[in-house]
Amino acid sequence: MRRFMAIARTAAIETMSQPLSAILFPVAVLAVHLLPAFQYHRFGAAGRLARETGLSSLFVFGLFFAVPAVVRVVGRELETGTAAAALALGVSRSLYFSARLAGTLAVFMLFFVAVAAATALSSFSCIKAATIFTGAGVVRVWGPAIAAGVAGALAPFAVAALLNRFARRRFCLWTCLLTVVLQLPGLALLEDAAPLRVMGSSFCAMAAACVVFVAMAGALATRLKPNGVTACVTAAVTAGFLMPVKFLAPDMRVFWLAEGETSAWRPLAAGAALAALWLLAGCISMERKELA
Amino acid sequence: MAEGNVIELKGVEKTFRDFWMRPVAEAVRWLDLEVARGDVFGLIGPNGSGKSTTIKMILGLIRPTKGTVRLFGLDPRAKAARARLGYLPELSHLHPFLTAEETVLYYAGLSGMRRAAARARMLELLEELKLAHVRRRTVGGFSKGMARRVAIAAALVSSPELLILDEPTSGLDPIGTREVKELIARLAAGGMTVLLTSHQLFDVQDVCNRVAVISEGRRVGGGVVADIVANAQDKRHALEEYFEARLNLGKGEA
Repeated sequence: MRRFMAIARTAAIETMSQPLSAILFPVAVLAVHLLPAFQYHRFGAAGRLARETGLSSLFVFGLFFAVPAVVRVVGRELETGTAAAALALGVSRSLYFSARLAGTLAVFMLFFVAVAAATALSSFSCIKAATIFTGAGVVRVWGPAIAAGVAGALAPFAVAALLNRFARRRFCLWTCLLTVVLQLPGLALLEDAAPLRVMGSSFCAMAAACVVFVAMAGALATRLKPNGVTACVTAAVTAGFLMPVKFLAPDMRVFWLAEGETSAWRPLAAGAALAALWLLAGCISMERKELA
Repeated sequence: MAEGNVIELKGVEKTFRDFWMRPVAEAVRWLDLEVARGDVFGLIGPNGSGKSTTIKMILGLIRPTKGTVRLFGLDPRAKAARARLGYLPELSHLHPFLTAEETVLYYAGLSGMRRAAARARMLELLEELKLAHVRRRTVGGFSKGMARRVAIAAALVSSPELLILDEPTSGLDPIGTREVKELIARLAAGGMTVLLTSHQLFDVQDVCNRVAVISEGRRVGGGVVADIVANAQDKRHALEEYFEARLNLGKGEA
């Protein structure tokens, strides 16, 4: 367990130390807070567009940072020989692969928490604005929520810069962590848990789909170059949207449309099974790989 | 396996194959090698002679096509065997975002060391390798020589019985090279078995007590360094002389 934690922790630090993560964490949160306000103005569907934006942000930005991250923490390590130095010390190859994947997925779950919290606040903000403002032609948002959300997305850069300047803390890593932490106080503005309850199952299903794609990318990264991994994952995502995929990849039509408090269990179970399948594939691939 | 041998290779061959299983390169051909406990053993040969492939087979990172490899009398992929060794790869690709102390502690964690013991050992090693003043800096900003010394500290953190060093002085300046040679001598005096590869034959002559010369995947010579020096006309360049003679002989045989 000590070895697993050491490897997973390093993978998580590596993932959050990438500049791409430090950009995508706050940008995704900011998009969730700002886009629904403009969409509401255009289409007038209080709350729903905020949730749809949150769901899209979770999927698109989540894949954008997590897939390259897992390719880096698994594939690059194998290519450069960093993995060989660890495996030479008696670490089992399956444990090594599982821990690297777990480290990346832990960061993805932090991202999930940040986007979900931002979506709950943004959705509540839209509903609140709809009850306060009735006129059209001007973008209407509920001030306290948008202020909390935007501050929570921008402040991490400033705080991380100060930590880097005065305490030598890693800028990118702290930007990611603070983006998550600073979204949580905004939840205190919610008057009830309704926004979280409504979006809960959809978000969990979408997170499950992302976890499958990340696990797939990790397993493929043990054998393919980054471009090959990207091509395969892109093909799997596309296939998931276009046809009823049964094996290897999530059927995105089912995962995306999961709603209600009970219907999400099926995609969640399917996601867990598919992620476990790719984890197993990755472990087998690692066990058989020659680290020449 | 003979008693006292830490590493034993018998009739080992390694052929790399492409995707279609066609042979691409015969990296190692019928190699026999024995490293006894307490040896400082030098594996020397020109580029592409099969030294790194041999080391990777000893580490269990690749499997031999033929022959047997034993590490502490066990299969090299056995956890019990690999838990007793430290390894310095030819290129030190460390995690650039970790500090020097985090890097050493990471490898201590991989060796299953407890945190307090790992921390004490890390401080001792960084002090010994003259890295204590930069221990909180990320290794991504280190020079090649400093990164090499961090990698050496990482290889030594678990106080292994066997230390495998692939080109340990690569990237080091003359002072750094001398310090690493002194460190190897101290480790050997403490009873550690060391297997190293190097192109720097002066260094090998200085620190090793036995050598094997490999050319084109075959063992073409080897023996006790003191005997090689005793039989040489130019004592300072004894190993270089011997190396060239064995390579020419190997080519003649081929």
